[in-house]
Amino acid sequence: MEIELLYRPGNTAAKVTLEEGQTITTESGAMIAMSGNMDITTTTHKKKSGGFLKAAKRMLAGESLFLNHFEPKQGSGELFLGSSLAGDMMTMDLDNESLIVQNSSYMASSEGIDVDMGWQGFKSLFSGESVIWLNLKGQGKILISSFGAIYPVEVDGEYIVDSGHIVAFDETLDFSITKAGKSWWHSYLGGEGLVCKFKGKGTVWCQSHNPSSFGGALSSSLRARKA
Amino acid sequence: MNQTYNITLTGELIGEIERSDAIAVFAKLFKLPLDKAHDFFHKAPLVVKKSVDGDTANKIQQILEKSGLHCEINPVEVVETEQSTQVGVMSESAVDAQDEQSGQEREEMLDSESEMTTEPEQPSASFKGLKFEMAGQPDYGFVTVHVPAGEMLKVEASAMATMDTNMQMKTKMRGGLGRMVTGENIFVNEFTAANMEGEVGIAPGAPGDLCHQYLDNETIYLQNSAFVACSSGIEVESKWQGLVKGFFSGESLFLIRAQGKGDLWFNSYGAIIEIDVNDDYVVDTGNIVGFTDGLEYQITKVGGYKSFFFSGEGLVCRFSGKGKVWIQTRSSAAFVGWAHWFRPVKSKG
Repeated sequence: MEIELLYRPGNTAAKVTLEEGQTITTESGAMIAMSGNMDITTTTHKKKSGGFLKAAKRMLAGESLFLNHFEPKQGSGELFLGSSLAGDMMTMDLDNESLIVQNSSYMASSEGIDVDMGWQGFKSLFSGESVIWLNLKGQGKILISSFGAIYPVEVDGEYIVDSGHIVAFDETLDFSITKAGKSWWHSYLGGEGLVCKFKGKGTVWCQSHNPSSFGGALSSSLRARKA
Repeated sequence: MNQTYNITLTGELIGEIERSDAIAVFAKLFKLPLDKAHDFFHKAPLVVKKSVDGDTANKIQQILEKSGLHCEINPVEVVETEQSTQVGVMSESAVDAQDEQSGQEREEMLDSESEMTTEPEQPSASFKGLKFEMAGQPDYGFVTVHVPAGEMLKVEASAMATMDTNMQMKTKMRGGLGRMVTGENIFVNEFTAANMEGEVGIAPGAPGDLCHQYLDNETIYLQNSAFVACSSGIEVESKWQGLVKGFFSGESLFLIRAQGKGDLWFNSYGAIIEIDVNDDYVVDTGNIVGFTDGLEYQITKVGGYKSFFFSGEGLVCRFSGKGKVWIQTRSSAAFVGWAHWFRPVKSKG
């Protein structure tokens, strides 16, 4: 499987080339084009596995319940993936490691990767930005997207990142939700609200822009919806 | 390539020559009617000769300065597009014709003109494509088109951002009722370069890529908001996709058909990827920018029924045959779907 990133960083699309017999799992709705011989199956969880409980967990987490699996029927096939927001993408190789990814940043993963959600689910309820985390582990390639540019931050000790700016981080890091300022009142007024505090040694990948801030800026010029 | 020079008339006068006399001399030298010479003079600084070699440039300067017209010689940048950003370029034809009563000076001019004929510029009857520059790709595409004198450019309504003052705009209704229904603006504005070459800067509505194609009696179908501009030889009309194809595509019932001979520019939301279709190819309906004539297309569901309902892909367009498809890396429908959650909630009562 080969993943090539095109038109970085603003209008990134990923071109995935698959050999016969290879499968890629993607977030639902990410496919923008593919060769005609691609087979698509939709499941509630990882291919050939997954029970109702896991699916229900996905639903609760706000991530769409379904994942798509693409496999070329005869010969090799290609597939283009794109996100709904402008921004960059990143590929990573996991070697029996574990990575925590913000749910809207997850794009795709190869067959050997297990996509699990609900990691620290309860904590995330309090993060204020309704950020859900996916736990990717196993061996293979993963594809991650961001709103704006992606930049890595090496953490050794403690580091604070606004929860809307987190794309992914190593599972070796411990994280807690905390306030940005000295008092709750200042944190609220400062518009930062709740932030994530990382502890330990590892990497955090951040995105240059916060989708909810952008959405909030658009909000006043959008027409009201019913409930 | 040898270094070439542009000769720019600064509009300043040397010595004690009267302005009106200077214009008369200028008119005579370049074989122009007096009023036109007057106009040109007012537009100074103005390039009167383009891309001549050093010797010729000096010769012309001598002639002009002798008549009291101050001018400058500027080396031409190697990038060809640079020179066209000059204030205005006098059309070649104005300089071509020669007069019988020419003095010695005129003969020298003749010399230089015979060299001019080697210039790559061609008369408008046989040109293949307009001169243009695209900038800001793929994120914020913007195109500047140089329209030769008398030529016309069709531009999507409201897409014109900048233009020369000699461009004349006319609004035309294209395809009548059809375009009204596509949701595409019903109007295409026609920009004609009056008297001399002019430029139009075109900025499409969505941030994204631009693509240029030269059509040689070919046909391209575009998604209804992708059309940006085309030269006069291309006919643009909306084409009914048929109820089934159109209704399910989620986009609209119409495609835009551009056919004829000339330049065509189209834009996208996100970057444009060109795909050569040899067998068959599947594209999400929201990501189609355009495709060449001759491809068969069919709106189908992707995978089985489970995928149809839950994959998030819904309906896709399956192209078959041989041709090109242009796709965009972003879809405005997907963005709108994302923004939906940020809409304020209507309070009850």
